[in-house]
Amino acid sequence: MWNSFLRLYQQTEKTLGSLKFAVFIILIFAVCLIFGTFMESYHGAEYANRLVYKSLPFMGVQLLMFLSILSATLLRLPPKKHLYGFYVIHLGLMTLFLGSYITYEAGVDGSLTLAPNSPAREVSLNTDQLLMQFPAKGNQVTIDLPYSFGTKNLDFKWENIKILRFIPFADEVIGWSEDKLADTSRLHSGEYRIENDNFGEDFTLSLHPASDFESTAQLGPLSVHYMPEVLADCFGKDSHKGLLVWDAQGGRCFAPQTKDMKEQKGISGKNLLILKESGEDLRFLPDLSPLPVDKDLKIVQDSPYRIFSRSLFQEKPHLFLFGRFVGYFDKEASKWMVKEFKNLTPVDLPWMGFKIVLKNHSPSKFPIRVPEAVTPIQDNGQLIKGAMKAIEIQAGDTRFWVTNQRAMSIEDPKDGKIIFQLGRKSLTLPFEITLDQFKMDTDPGTNNPASYESFVTLFKGNEGSEKHHVFMNHPMKYSTFTFYQASYFQTQQGPFGSIFSVNYDPGRPWKYLGSILLVLGSLWHFVLRKKPSKKNAETSHA
Amino acid sequence: MRKYLIALLFISQAYAQTLCPPDLDTMPVRAGGRVKPMLVLADETLRFVTGSSKYGDESATMTFCKLSYDGLGIASNIDLPVKVEHVEAKALLGMKPDDTSIPFSLLSQKTEDIRMAHMKIKENNSYKKELNKIMNRVQIVQNTINGQIWTLPEVIGSKVTWVPLAEFLTEQKMAALKAQHADPFSALYQTAKADFIKAENDHFMREYFYQKAQFFLWGLLLGIIALAVAFAVPKDWIAITLTSALILLEVSGMVLRVLISGRAPITNMYETVMFSGFGALVISFILFLIKRERLFLIGGLAYNVLCLMMMKFANGMLDPSISPLVPVLRDNFWLSTHVTTVILSYAALALSWILANVVLARQVFKGSTPAQTRFQMEQIYTCIKVGVVLLSAGVILGGVWADYSWGRFWGWDPKETWSLIVLLVYMAILHGRYTNWITPARFVPLAAGAFMSVMMAWFGVNYILATGLHSYGFSEGGALFLGSFFLIQSAFLIFVVLKNKKTPA
Repeated sequence: MWNSFLRLYQQTEKTLGSLKFAVFIILIFAVCLIFGTFMESYHGAEYANRLVYKSLPFMGVQLLMFLSILSATLLRLPPKKHLYGFYVIHLGLMTLFLGSYITYEAGVDGSLTLAPNSPAREVSLNTDQLLMQFPAKGNQVTIDLPYSFGTKNLDFKWENIKILRFIPFADEVIGWSEDKLADTSRLHSGEYRIENDNFGEDFTLSLHPASDFESTAQLGPLSVHYMPEVLADCFGKDSHKGLLVWDAQGGRCFAPQTKDMKEQKGISGKNLLILKESGEDLRFLPDLSPLPVDKDLKIVQDSPYRIFSRSLFQEKPHLFLFGRFVGYFDKEASKWMVKEFKNLTPVDLPWMGFKIVLKNHSPSKFPIRVPEAVTPIQDNGQLIKGAMKAIEIQAGDTRFWVTNQRAMSIEDPKDGKIIFQLGRKSLTLPFEITLDQFKMDTDPGTNNPASYESFVTLFKGNEGSEKHHVFMNHPMKYSTFTFYQASYFQTQQGPFGSIFSVNYDPGRPWKYLGSILLVLGSLWHFVLRKKPSKKNAETSHA
Repeated sequence: MRKYLIALLFISQAYAQTLCPPDLDTMPVRAGGRVKPMLVLADETLRFVTGSSKYGDESATMTFCKLSYDGLGIASNIDLPVKVEHVEAKALLGMKPDDTSIPFSLLSQKTEDIRMAHMKIKENNSYKKELNKIMNRVQIVQNTINGQIWTLPEVIGSKVTWVPLAEFLTEQKMAALKAQHADPFSALYQTAKADFIKAENDHFMREYFYQKAQFFLWGLLLGIIALAVAFAVPKDWIAITLTSALILLEVSGMVLRVLISGRAPITNMYETVMFSGFGALVISFILFLIKRERLFLIGGLAYNVLCLMMMKFANGMLDPSISPLVPVLRDNFWLSTHVTTVILSYAALALSWILANVVLARQVFKGSTPAQTRFQMEQIYTCIKVGVVLLSAGVILGGVWADYSWGRFWGWDPKETWSLIVLLVYMAILHGRYTNWITPARFVPLAAGAFMSVMMAWFGVNYILATGLHSYGFSEGGALFLGSFFLIQSAFLIFVVLKNKKTPA
């Protein structure tokens, strides 16, 4: 048994320590790195880290490298004089690996955001976590999320809450949800595209209250209003002073003059309009409110009627979309136009050659934003695609998404309100730092930055405080941490804030020792060593 | 601008034409964040706009200055040919595919078309970048005409303020000088220059001398002669003398560049090419002196000449101008140690590359004995050893600098990762040399091919990876150069392998 184990060990050591295996594993390592750099170029640094550099297979390749180096050294023992340089190189490499492993396991690499004159101590780390807060109970739960490059199904359960899956790189797409309970006949939604020769944009609008999309949009100077389809019918017709009345309950629209209209002077000389509708008087002060008023001229908040003055929308460009119809005021013709969208045929608009097309219309379903896993794309160090992280959660029968851009809260019958937040894991420093001033110098006569400098106060608890000046190549060291000037930002109030990278590296001494050994060993082996005779060389590398 | 217009009303046409006196070359100006002589600003501006340092028979300075005539309301008769390189941009501007430039007068009428086309492109691709460049060129010419780019020193007490020409030519100044001098502009410039030198210094004149001396152009001529001598003349002393002179000339150029910039000459691609050429020459010269093997010297001189040719003729890719550094690089110690070591390692590996190609060419076209091949392989191996030791040291120094500056020894940044890839590629060759995988016959082509990893680390990270593969489209200078290099080197290696298969040793 022992002998067979020894034979297996010797065979493994011989294989791993062989020059051919060294060449093989070096090339595999190099190929992984080449792949990693191209991935970073396309998809950004975080994706490359998740896919390659911090992935398990790459760790395995590094382990095999380490074992190859170790076995190659052990195989060439007892020491031979002409291999002293070789031993030092390989010892240096193993020390470097050891240092890197210690850093990976025990090191801290994060960032500290310093708003002006606000004490800060929360270091944001590079891993993600889900935070669940229970305000009623006054406690919270954090769940570390996997460092994966693609969607990862999670099997985590907390009472009746299930964490279903995590998407590290996502974009929001439009998902269509059906409301089976409500009467959706007047809550339709639609997707449109507006474009001319120089500009084009897709936009989605909805009347459904549960939709993530609004019923208005602003496209440059153009205001877009999404309205119930039944309004289209009377929108293009002439009416008294351009006024229209909309009955939300009855789902109909009419011109005021069709309802035995009377006009009187109301509050402050404003026009009071009285209409006969279903045997009752409907009173409106169109210059003051779209809602009707009672006999005492007080607004009736719960009335289903609204009066709408089109004349307010004639000066500036306003586009009215009524599901499958489009309305606008044509200044040249001096009249309101209503046209129907037909089979993706664009409708010409009277502004700068713009056309609009209805891409999708749904009278029953409503649009929501749904995260979709994507492969990220980077440009100039910023993700232009896939910048969102998302996690799908199930609470009871309801499924919903929490993203790093949007927290969610639910009412749980047992726990009360629960708030879900997806963000970076953080570390609380045992001391505080306050940014007193951030200074950015520029090269004379230009806007090119010449230096970024932060003047900070370090509060050391009972030990008092001290001032520090942190700038490029001049970090601040305190306790076991080192703080480096990394970036900056401008606050809404105007002054600049600063971002430090925060680092604690217990593997540092090993890396430095390994580096020195590697360089000295290389010099010894390649430059200072006397060349062995051909016979010796063959023996030592056999 | 208002003051400028007031001055214009005051300046008569006859005076305006004396705006550009012949001694304008040495006038200090501030541009791009530092003080430099007018000659340099004019040369940089003209090269950026037109790709050439001259306009007809006019020098760069005269062209630059006379453009301001237009701002004075006097026809300069200068219609700069603005450089356009991208095929789609040429089509947009109504140029033929063979055209390389478009007259500014025509281009300035098409700025709205360029702006609209630029707006339409969502991806930051090479076409969009080219349109950006064209708009920048238009802006620079317009600013030159308006007298905004050309800044002059105005000394009040001991404080120097830099004022655009448009504001510098005030009515009061012109009136006072016109009363005293027949050539008021020249007097104005000379007074401003003298005041500036008195208030600060005349260090900007170093750059004037550097620009005029053309060290690296003379170096190129001397290098070609030295290379020819190293090939053809059997006596060593002539080659040694010429190489020594070439090293001295390049050292002079680099020392002057260091005095101008105040930092090691390794901060942009132009300087790294310059330093690697120099480094390879020095390494090869030392190896030649130690081993008395002419092949080293030939390799070093050939690579040096290649680098000097790139510096002279590849200005689209290698910008020779001296610019202020980005903040993170402003540490002379680490810059001088880490970058210098890495570039010297590239120089040694470049030497191995050029020797490997020379040996392969000799094998294929002239034939060589196994003994000759083994001997030449040893020369290549020597260079690789030097390169690997220097590269190990350089990568580690980079790690130490990164740890010191950013708090991490290693961060998988593309530049540092590719320098590790280079080290790994050469380590694989050095290890493989002791196996039957890399025989002497395979070692030389592998040494030649391995240099492609150096080129990727050196140029590729900047010109391909930095822009992203999705957008470079092989139309920008660096990517095109690198693609051509890979293609030619690979084609030659395939040719060698096929040829060797047909005629086994």
